[in-house]
Amino acid sequence: MAGSAESLWYKDAIIYQLHVRTFCDSNGDGIGDFPGLIQKLDYLQELGVNAIWLLPFFPSPLRDDGYDISDYKAVHPSYGVLEDLKTFLAAAHDRGMRIIIELVLNHTSDQHSWFQESRSSRENPKRDWYVWRDTDDHYQGVRIIFVDTERSNWAWDPLSKSYYWHRFFSHQPDLNYDNPAVFEAMWDVMKFWLELGVDGFRLDAVPYLVEREGTSCENLPETHAIIRELRRRVDQEYPGKMLLAEANQWPSDVRSYFGDSDEFHMAFHFPLMPRMFMSVQLEDRKPIVEILEQTPQIPDGCQWCLFLRNHDELTLEMVTDVERDYMYDEYAKDKGMRINLGIRRRLSPMMDNDRWRIQLLNGMLMSMPGTPIIYYGDEIGMGDNVYLGDRNGVRTPMQWNGGWNAGFSAADPERLYSAVISNPVYGYQAINVESQRRSQHSLLSWMKRIIHVRKTSRVLSRGSIEFLKPSNHRVLAYVRQLGNEKILVVNNLSKAAQAVELDLHQYKGSIPIEMFGGNLFPRIGDLYYLLTLGPYQFFWFRLRRI
Amino acid sequence: METALAEETFLDDNFLRQLMSVGEVDLLVGIPSHNNAKSIGQTVTTIEECFQQNFVRDRVVIVNVDGGSRDGTSDVVLNTPLPKSQNQRGLSSLRTSHRIATRYANQPSRGAAYRAILAAADLLQAKACAIISPETSNFTAAWVRGLLQPAYRENFDFVAPLYSRHKNDGLLARNLLYPMGRAVFGRRIRELNSGELGFSGRLAGHCQNLDVWREESIRTSPEAWMATTAISSGFRCCQSFLGPKVHSLTSSGTDIVTAVRQTVGTLFWCLESQQSFWMERSGSEAVPTFGPEHELSSEPVRVNRKRIFDLFLSGAAELSNVLKSILSPETHAELQRIATEDDRKFRYRDELWVSTLCEFAASYHHATIDRDHLIQALVPLYRGRIFSFLQEHHDSSPEDIEAHSENLCLEFERQKPYLVERWKAK
Repeated sequence: MAGSAESLWYKDAIIYQLHVRTFCDSNGDGIGDFPGLIQKLDYLQELGVNAIWLLPFFPSPLRDDGYDISDYKAVHPSYGVLEDLKTFLAAAHDRGMRIIIELVLNHTSDQHSWFQESRSSRENPKRDWYVWRDTDDHYQGVRIIFVDTERSNWAWDPLSKSYYWHRFFSHQPDLNYDNPAVFEAMWDVMKFWLELGVDGFRLDAVPYLVEREGTSCENLPETHAIIRELRRRVDQEYPGKMLLAEANQWPSDVRSYFGDSDEFHMAFHFPLMPRMFMSVQLEDRKPIVEILEQTPQIPDGCQWCLFLRNHDELTLEMVTDVERDYMYDEYAKDKGMRINLGIRRRLSPMMDNDRWRIQLLNGMLMSMPGTPIIYYGDEIGMGDNVYLGDRNGVRTPMQWNGGWNAGFSAADPERLYSAVISNPVYGYQAINVESQRRSQHSLLSWMKRIIHVRKTSRVLSRGSIEFLKPSNHRVLAYVRQLGNEKILVVNNLSKAAQAVELDLHQYKGSIPIEMFGGNLFPRIGDLYYLLTLGPYQFFWFRLRRI
Repeated sequence: METALAEETFLDDNFLRQLMSVGEVDLLVGIPSHNNAKSIGQTVTTIEECFQQNFVRDRVVIVNVDGGSRDGTSDVVLNTPLPKSQNQRGLSSLRTSHRIATRYANQPSRGAAYRAILAAADLLQAKACAIISPETSNFTAAWVRGLLQPAYRENFDFVAPLYSRHKNDGLLARNLLYPMGRAVFGRRIRELNSGELGFSGRLAGHCQNLDVWREESIRTSPEAWMATTAISSGFRCCQSFLGPKVHSLTSSGTDIVTAVRQTVGTLFWCLESQQSFWMERSGSEAVPTFGPEHELSSEPVRVNRKRIFDLFLSGAAELSNVLKSILSPETHAELQRIATEDDRKFRYRDELWVSTLCEFAASYHHATIDRDHLIQALVPLYRGRIFSFLQEHHDSSPEDIEAHSENLCLEFERQKPYLVERWKAK
């Protein structure tokens, strides 16, 4: 498995996102670790995912959940040692799973030795590894990203008596990519992990690598030049590896991060995600269709990454003010659910634990153009705890069973890195893997089925999309096509049953075969094709010509 | 012929299919039309602007019901582009914008148009609705909001408009429809017969299900009927101030004979059909009003007073025998007397005018002559009344005008027992 040369594997991937800390604790210290994760690989294989994206596991003071890195080439002792990681990589590869890890290019922890050296004196060789100024009036007007906690992108360092630039928390100073030594240092980090066998990197916060006066300091040409050079080296020395961009931008701005297939392989489609939630609540396909019709074509070797939820807040940066207000009012009525410009809740609570809505959203995730990412725990419908502060409410221990600490850890409950969810609706006694494994009708079983069906056809992972626009706006319908193979997807966004007449005349003569049950539907003829759908129901039809 | 067409086409398959596509809505704005291609595009744009500014999260639909236009009016409705988005990314409103266009008949009929709109409102379960005339050239997004908001957010069922009018404008309403309607039905609603109004889905469903749509009065002037039905059926009524009303230059306008026939005919029909409600009532109540209660504009309205007086005189003379069969001897005699007066001294006093109308209404009830002829016989007397009003208030201030209106209303209320007495008389 390791070293496979199938270069477009990421297009067919079903990615499972998890934090080692949250998944399984093997040594009873209350914190998940790599040995524990290895124990759960069979579960993930059974689920059907074929790629795992690990959140940062590097040494860190953990003031930003590991995105403040103090050593790029090691494993945080709470999660194990480097050997554990190597064992994990081998075990994952043996099961046909690829591993994607984080690479935080933009900044380090202020505890990283590079920063400690840089701040120690203006003459230090690493002084120029970070962005220092004597005053804080440079790069005026650049937006603050963590608006709830930061008042400025500059922070004063009393030791070197100067300001340093930080686009995120003040304890995360930005690296200075105008210094070639920084680039080489990060390339060295990448090589380290590629040599160990990782299959890809999620590059965190890439739009912010370079700063220039009079600009937004985002998406600058110099940033793209850095990415292109990284990509060139990866392709040359480690073919088949993948780079995934975290660029929370409008689709037209993200497009540039694919370059001419010479920058990133994949990028998250951030603006689509809140619009999926919007469409279901509005019972109107307009937000989804509008954003996807604005999404530019990307090079053949590139792919969007789609997701419903993740470890961060559900970001509402790439929506209009009207849309943001709507999302807050509908999904985050309690202001405690809001952070920065987003909503810090999990999928199931946002769907009010409505199984049909959860399935509908996952159905869209699995059938729209892009590689789907499942956030750990969403496959069983885990809940959240908005009172844990920051975004910790969506990073609680995985719920394996209804027993001690939800089967996550043998430690005393007080030692857990975070309390388990324990309310009557989403608590571990009600929502856990073991219970759901017992039933063919559980959400977990359903997720396995849809992942399996998704993997039966490359049309869904690699095909084009054409929207049908029936007069019933509550129905989102589209045709995915790859070569001669076509799949018709019809989604009822409404809580009420709907009838829809689809103009399928260009597919006249095809027989729709429903993909979950394999049943035949009436052949497409001259008339509009009438379908009726129950609340939140969706169909996937393979269109066969026989 | 028109009846058959209206029956066949008012809810045809195409209309029904369009309604199915839209599904349940919160707000519905209906536009009855007939050869309004030149103005209806702006009407649609203004309504869409109102939706975007005031009801961005709500499920909305524009329903155009057309009476056989030959100028592509409905195509204009469907093809008018949405107002330009303020958003720099070109993202428009939250929801799909819906427009429906249907032909309810091959000839215009306000009643059939209203019936189609009410049916749409009922089937789409609209919470609040408004009807907008494409012939009003100066209506704004605020008008639409003013008509929808009371029903949508304040739980009212009928929303009558209030306009800022010149003292010489809206004379039929000021001298007849308002004071008589107020006295009879007990609610102070100034505009009983406007091309713009608002109503709740509840009232739409109630009206839609009444078996009145073949009545000639409803077909020509359904607005007044809706207002009086709302009052007599216990629905919550209010008024909403919209502003000055300007008719478009392309509007056909309605001559005075037709206006009186349609509006007064409908009012009298409403008296007839709802007599169990109004007979025992006295006095009147104010209804909640959003915005100023009344406002006079300074935009002049030209009238040809001499012609009005001449038509009064000739009509009163030609129809003397007809009037004798309608009016009491005293009223008839007094009318004959004032018709001999010099035009500078001519006054059609409030008391006489109110008596005239009470006796006409009672005669309508008793059908002493053909009802349509009876209404037409009122026209010259109405002209006389208007001439008197114009003479008397040539230099009046807005306060004087309003005081006079109130006095006229009180005179109607004072003479209501007389109306009841004439009504009940054998």
